[in-house]
Amino acid sequence: MISLLRLEQVTVKYGVIPAVQELSLEVCEGQIVALLGANGAGKTTTLKTVVGVLRPAHGRILYDGRDITTLPAPQRVRMGICLVPEGRGIFNRLTVRENLLLGAYHRRDQGEVLRDLEEVYRLFPRLKERENQIAGTLSGGEQQMLAIGRGLMSRPKLMLLDEPSLGLAPLIVRELYALIQSIREKGVTILLVEQSAPMAIGVADYVYVLETGIVKISGTPKEVESLEEVKKVYLGG
Amino acid sequence: MFSLSYFLQQSMNGVILGCIYALLALGMTVVYGILRLINFAHGALITLGAFCMYFVFFRLGLPFIASMFLVLGFGGLMGLVLDFVAYRKLRGGPEVALLITSLGFYTFIENLTKLLVSPQPYAFKTPAFLATLYRTPFLTFRTIDVFIILSSLAIMFSFHLFVRRTKMGIAMRATSENLEIANLMGIEVNRVISVAFVLGSAIAAFTGFLWGAKYGQISYDMGFLTGVKAFVAVVVGGVGSIPGAMLGGFVLGLAEILSIAFLPTRFAEYRDGIVFAILILVLLVRPSGIMGMREEVRV
Repeated sequence: MISLLRLEQVTVKYGVIPAVQELSLEVCEGQIVALLGANGAGKTTTLKTVVGVLRPAHGRILYDGRDITTLPAPQRVRMGICLVPEGRGIFNRLTVRENLLLGAYHRRDQGEVLRDLEEVYRLFPRLKERENQIAGTLSGGEQQMLAIGRGLMSRPKLMLLDEPSLGLAPLIVRELYALIQSIREKGVTILLVEQSAPMAIGVADYVYVLETGIVKISGTPKEVESLEEVKKVYLGG
Repeated sequence: MFSLSYFLQQSMNGVILGCIYALLALGMTVVYGILRLINFAHGALITLGAFCMYFVFFRLGLPFIASMFLVLGFGGLMGLVLDFVAYRKLRGGPEVALLITSLGFYTFIENLTKLLVSPQPYAFKTPAFLATLYRTPFLTFRTIDVFIILSSLAIMFSFHLFVRRTKMGIAMRATSENLEIANLMGIEVNRVISVAFVLGSAIAAFTGFLWGAKYGQISYDMGFLTGVKAFVAVVVGGVGSIPGAMLGGFVLGLAEILSIAFLPTRFAEYRDGIVFAILILVLLVRPSGIMGMREEVRV
């Protein structure tokens, strides 16, 4: 399997306080990798570091065979990394269509962009219906669809999903996970951060569990599920 | 005593002053929306624009259209320089540092103008072809009045199309709502900010010319109070809202002119006070301005 993303001994600090310590992880092309952990474990920090909003104090980030540790975020976006942020991060005052077009901001192929827009609308007919509505007026589930649709507009190779199921009704979460799998089938690699573990473990090819900035456990879903402490803490068993 | 024609006449004066405030507020609100910077230096661009027009048009005798474009270009360039020299280093710093820097740069430009030009006001003649007087039963006006209203509306309409229809315009609104997420979309935020400064400053410089042509006098310190009032227009209309800024400008211009027109003459000297009284009233009733949305706290 070809490695798409590799973090080597990455440490990220807020001031002097380390949020992530010597974290190493690998995501291979076509995989869904789940990054689990409680609040404050460093999951969001990890994703922000991968996309370039935060800079590591130590360590290296390799993407598609290149060292991207010092590249600014916009450049990483152009290389195909896309973060669907926690709490959706959509532009509330812009229309649905404008939000989606901004996902393709860095692209120059206008015709292809419009084709992808139709593709996103086909995937999410609700967004098509609300095309010219202000995004702030959408429901939580629709906003999550918009955030993911906007991510797809950038034609990502690697999609980072930060707690996509947060605050959504169970039925919608199930829909969302079906969608995540279909995005993978399109050839997009996914690094998925979640607090609610069962669904994430269900779709993942590989699982990392973070605890206070350190990788505590890692393995295939089967290996991880069988561990007593994972059962107790993350699977409610 | 107060006839219909008097009312119409004063309303037109109010609309004209409103145009000027609205044009200035436009540039200020865009910059404020993105950087949370009350750009006092914006006022200095009015002065620079007015003197630039004075020199290229009256002294050098360049054709009017060419002079106008020179003024626009000069304003835009100064905006770019200001962004690079004054503000870029402070990105991510506390907002108060930006505020103080902008006051500093305003003071610097004002004093530089005073030194290079003159501490005395200059007479600014209305260009001859804009000075023709028209009399109708209700209104008396000059070509310059029509010119100010039409050119302002044209600029506002173009700006509206720019932020609604162009990629850069949409990116600008997105950056103004959430800078960090805009960055995640691959938007080069610094470039968006530069564009905001260039456009806002070009418009402000042009406004300096309008001011001179309408009121017949320009001076090194003409930008200060005008700039502050433009910011009042921004707040009255709703901070960060582009239609709000334009509306705020017209509200302010009309209120200022009509209040001195209809209040007893001894109140005339309070015209600036009246502007700020309106600000206080609006903030009491609608703290987020007429068209403003409630500000989400930024972390």
